[in-house]
Amino acid sequence: MSFASSVSRFDSIRRLNSLQPGDRGTIVRVTTDDLARADRLAALGVTPGASVRLLQRFPGFVFECDQTELAVEPAVARTILVELR
Amino acid sequence: MALVGNPNVGKSVIFGRLTGRYALVSNYPGTTVALTQGRALVGNEVCDVIDTPGVNAVEGVLSEDEQITRAIITSDRADVVVQVADARNIRRALMLTWQVARCGKPMVLVLNMTDEARSRGIDVDARRLHSELGVPVVETVATEGRGLTELRRALGRARVVSVPADTDAASWGHSYAERVRRAKPRASPRVQEAIGRAVRHPLTGLPILAVVLYLLYLFVGVFGAQTLVGLVEKGVFGRFVNPAATSLATRFIPIAFVRDLLVGEYGVITMGLTYAIGIVLPVVTTFFLMFGWLEDSGYIPRLAIFCDRIFRMMGLNGKAVLPMVLGLGCDTMATMTTRILGSRKERLIAILLLALGIPCSAQLATILGILGGISFAALLTLFAVVVAQMFLVGFLAARVLPGDRSDFIMELPPIRLPLMRNLLRKTLMRVRWYLGEAVPLFLIGTLLLFLLDRTGLLRVLVAAAQPVVTGLLGLPAATAQVFVMGFLRRDYGAAGLYQMAHAGALTSVQAVVALTVMTLFVPCVANFLMIVKEQGVRVGLTMLAFITVVALSTGVALNHVLRFFGISF
Repeated sequence: MSFASSVSRFDSIRRLNSLQPGDRGTIVRVTTDDLARADRLAALGVTPGASVRLLQRFPGFVFECDQTELAVEPAVARTILVELR
Repeated sequence: MALVGNPNVGKSVIFGRLTGRYALVSNYPGTTVALTQGRALVGNEVCDVIDTPGVNAVEGVLSEDEQITRAIITSDRADVVVQVADARNIRRALMLTWQVARCGKPMVLVLNMTDEARSRGIDVDARRLHSELGVPVVETVATEGRGLTELRRALGRARVVSVPADTDAASWGHSYAERVRRAKPRASPRVQEAIGRAVRHPLTGLPILAVVLYLLYLFVGVFGAQTLVGLVEKGVFGRFVNPAATSLATRFIPIAFVRDLLVGEYGVITMGLTYAIGIVLPVVTTFFLMFGWLEDSGYIPRLAIFCDRIFRMMGLNGKAVLPMVLGLGCDTMATMTTRILGSRKERLIAILLLALGIPCSAQLATILGILGGISFAALLTLFAVVVAQMFLVGFLAARVLPGDRSDFIMELPPIRLPLMRNLLRKTLMRVRWYLGEAVPLFLIGTLLLFLLDRTGLLRVLVAAAQPVVTGLLGLPAATAQVFVMGFLRRDYGAAGLYQMAHAGALTSVQAVVALTVMTLFVPCVANFLMIVKEQGVRVGLTMLAFITVVALSTGVALNHVLRFFGISF
């Protein structure tokens, strides 16, 4: 039982760039291999706990983070891990 | 007292409400970051208010804006710091609060746009926030002037916020936001959202872009460059200023050299000032108005989404769209605004591309005037060649130049109707910049032209350019002079070509070749001097040489290709 629920939790964590427009979730982690980038995202409110909704994939990723609308390139969207709701 | 806050939270509106209309805009010493200062009446006391640029952080790796904001709130110019927060984005605001609090100044927190927050189903418990933080928390709707009296009263109760040392901005801000925010977000289909979606989606966004560009052309190219220029140049300068200056000079200045320097054919007043104020000022003012409107409405940041992919291939990112669009008004100013770009490499590439391919409003007017009269195919050829050349140069520069580009991360401000007051203030600031920074460069350019003419060097330069112009570019000999003068004073080049085209001295192929070379060439001496100011003499001269070679060789290739295939438009 606990095994099953942990698997489903694991399944529902996705990178932002693999979401479809309309998908909602909560940020669980922002990868920090590039610290300056993570800092910039954090300053804009992209930190664990923030709720996100993907609005558009092409020509660039546009998403809503809490009440802020942000546009990022795919490489940046990859670093944002989201638990789907 | 200093106002701080994230971008687009309504800081400027609160500033305007507090200080009334008397505000002084000035640059922070040694930078281009604009600070607005004013005075507010608080109780019976007059209090100096500084409006700082919108920031997301005052600790860590900081941008120029952020460094200056930090410098102000840590200096003794600010006894009290008023942080303005967008009530909809309280979590983000509190992260900034954490950092501002560590500067140790007494604070007041303003929750602005509470009406919009409520209509979106977000309720922030101001009383709870007040008791948890220990500072006054004031709810406002600044655009309507609500809450300003309470804010004035709260200033005297400002307190230092103490933040535990073992926290960080993100977790502190998050935990407080969770405690005071009650959100049941409603995704109501609102007009703003619909517009926001339409402008960023490719299918609807591209037609909208075409309409916007056409309106820009109507307002700047027709109203500014024709109607207003006619009034100011021919009316004010042609009828009053220049005749008055000339008659004064003839009466009071006995030395012919000095007289010519001021009011002669290449005189600083009759040519330099007439050009800078009579022709360029109306064009840049109308452009700044329209640009400011597009910027404040939230349109221009969304344009960056479209450009990001293409710009990335050229070593830039979508953010570079701002200086590029501004370049359509004035390349000299756009060169300065490349400072907003993240890395040195990006700034260098953007400056190069601006000088190479982006036609300024004066050039655009000439191109449209001459080629529009020939054929659409001629116009298309010119733009295709220029865009291809820009792309090629950008692509190569991205690979050759050392360094990295920065990530494309851009906040899209909400779509809203710009406030006239803010728009006018912004335009006024830019026009003032133009008068202070660009006009002297135009005068220097005129002085240079005057000296070249007097020393006979102008004739030598023209003679040297002639073989290239007639032989390789296949243009009439007179074009050489137009090119040389066009660099020193843009509209002389333009007007010269215009006259030649109308007198039938240029075939359609020659017109396309001549205008392509002119567009690719460094726009004007003011632009060149700005490059030197931003990047140094060595970079400036290298760019000038490189661009000259590119412009001429492109012209030569275009000339031969057109002739070889017998294309005549």
